Amino acid sequence: MNTPTHAATPPLLELKDLSLSFQQHERVAVDRVSLKIVAGSTLGLVGASGAGKSSIARAILGLIRPDSGDILFKGEHIDRMNPRQLKSTRQRIQLVFQDPSVSLSPRRTVGQTLLEPLQHFGIGDANYQREKTAQILHTVGLDPSALKRYPHQFSSGQQQRIAIARALVTDPELLIADEAVSSLDVSIQAQILQLIQVLQRDFGITFLFISHDLAVIRQIADDVAVMYRGQLLEQSPADRFFSQPAHPYGRTLLSFARGQTPAGWTEEKWYLERSSNTAGKATACVFAGFCPEKMPVCETTEPAWRYIQNENQPTLGPHCVKCHLYNEANTNDY
Amino acid sequence: MNTPALSVKNLSVWFETESGRIPVVDRVGFSINAGDATGLVGESGCGKTMTAMAILGLLPSTGVSVRADAIEINGRDIYNLNARQRRAVLGRDIAMIFQQPATALDPVFTMGQQIGAVYKRHFGGSQQHVRQTMLDALRSVGFNHAEDIAAAYPHQLSGGMRQLAMIAMATVCKPAVIIADEPTTALDSSSRALILQKLQHLQTRHQTAILYISHDLAVVRQSCHDVMVMYCGRIMETTDCQSLFSHARHPYSAGLLSCIPRISATRPPPISSIPGQVPAPTDLPAGCHFAPRCTRAETRCRQAVPELDDQNGRGAACFRPL
Repeated sequence: MNTPTHAATPPLLELKDLSLSFQQHERVAVDRVSLKIVAGSTLGLVGASGAGKSSIARAILGLIRPDSGDILFKGEHIDRMNPRQLKSTRQRIQLVFQDPSVSLSPRRTVGQTLLEPLQHFGIGDANYQREKTAQILHTVGLDPSALKRYPHQFSSGQQQRIAIARALVTDPELLIADEAVSSLDVSIQAQILQLIQVLQRDFGITFLFISHDLAVIRQIADDVAVMYRGQLLEQSPADRFFSQPAHPYGRTLLSFARGQTPAGWTEEKWYLERSSNTAGKATACVFAGFCPEKMPVCETTEPAWRYIQNENQPTLGPHCVKCHLYNEANTNDY
Repeated sequence: MNTPALSVKNLSVWFETESGRIPVVDRVGFSINAGDATGLVGESGCGKTMTAMAILGLLPSTGVSVRADAIEINGRDIYNLNARQRRAVLGRDIAMIFQQPATALDPVFTMGQQIGAVYKRHFGGSQQHVRQTMLDALRSVGFNHAEDIAAAYPHQLSGGMRQLAMIAMATVCKPAVIIADEPTTALDSSSRALILQKLQHLQTRHQTAILYISHDLAVVRQSCHDVMVMYCGRIMETTDCQSLFSHARHPYSAGLLSCIPRISATRPPPISSIPGQVPAPTDLPAGCHFAPRCTRAETRCRQAVPELDDQNGRGAACFRPL
């Protein structure tokens, strides 16, 4: 499995202080998010619905323009590319959506669906394209006879395999999976997770894997980034996050995922969280209103990123957290 | 012996097609006592929802046939009812919580109007009484500001809140039986925890019998005492939850358990899965329907159908149980 060496390898994808907002909702969807994905590794981006996970995916694909900040793919600014450069970059970044019954065109055969990206990007001649589509079907575990059939003739698990095949056909370096297994049965989900593990191991594909399900993230992620209301609150190697989550929000998510009620969680907070749409004061921690370990400073000052030393696990990458609990006494400035 | 709140005996459902009868639910029988919860698990397309719809009598009258020895709520038959009698039962004695509250709720009425309407059609009463009962139902699922929720349209609520409002609607008449069909599937983990907690609370307080339908064994483990594992319309194993998780007897149950991703401090080994997929009802294999996907299958599994060796509510339909 991949052991990302953060210092040595330049990141495949890097976000620097990315912010974006939606005019009609008058709210910030993504607020100064910085993260890196090392080539060959998988970053699990977690958080409740509405945290801004999908907005980040869309910004990386150039589908929405950020208000500020940088998106670098192999060191190149995606957000400053002209349409032609963007097109050639998109060949290297592909997306798998949540629900294949919606993301696949019902009027196209699987063969047409798989050919289209190759034709759009002008990859290879007809012979190559034919071979490539057959080969990719084999990779995702489907029979060549699938080429002539339509999406509705497949089960939901097979449809998601087709959606993954479509994403793989251009030989992308980065695959963004946006809740790609969330709508599937546990048994089908397990099959698709196995396929993703094969793609990680045998093809070295880099994944940005977006999910609200921590158990799924645990299966496949090397690193974890936790989002809450547009902000990143914690970034950590997965092995570290799942044994020692640092941010109170990270701990809350993990408790729920383990089927436990987190310390300090109350029903009132759940209702409050869902009825308050405003992102809170700019001068406070974004999680302050719901944090079980809130201190007075949390409501007046936005915490800075802290780098938590990793003395026991020196082989792992950095563990960063945006929380006042981790003050200067035992940490270094990030 | 107590009369169970819900009793289903020998329920079968077929699709009637030009090429013949296609079985989708095959001789299913179970009972749930007041205040108990039972889970019905299996992959999509296994007949779980068809079972629920047949119990409620909501299947269309053409193209589908239903047969049962009995379907009873507190000993009262609900199988042989005409349309008018059935309308009097649905919502009052038995209610359903759907997977997608967004589509199950009517977008043009407020939550208060929709919940009030359910109560009013069964019990009537003054406008004030109906409103009071409706607000109580909302409060009982935890809405402190019940008036605000009552005035809201479904789209103004978040997914978790909508599902809670849906539960208020299902419980406003305090039915003896609730069928919850994938009640938490589309929700995040904190909403899921709250919904399951609320349902357990109502189960205890009103002594409601709940049938949980889910593909997610984790939900069933959290909420149910007993569990039935369904495959291709048949009950493959019936047991209590604890036994299923500690010692599943049917290879299909064991397969489903192995698919659950687990959260561990150290990186888990690659997940295992059940190979293949659920066959279409038109294309059921001979013998045990699970045999083609089963690692333990032998010749007789492909020739004869193993029957459920049900003893005191425990048993597996398998020639070679684990």
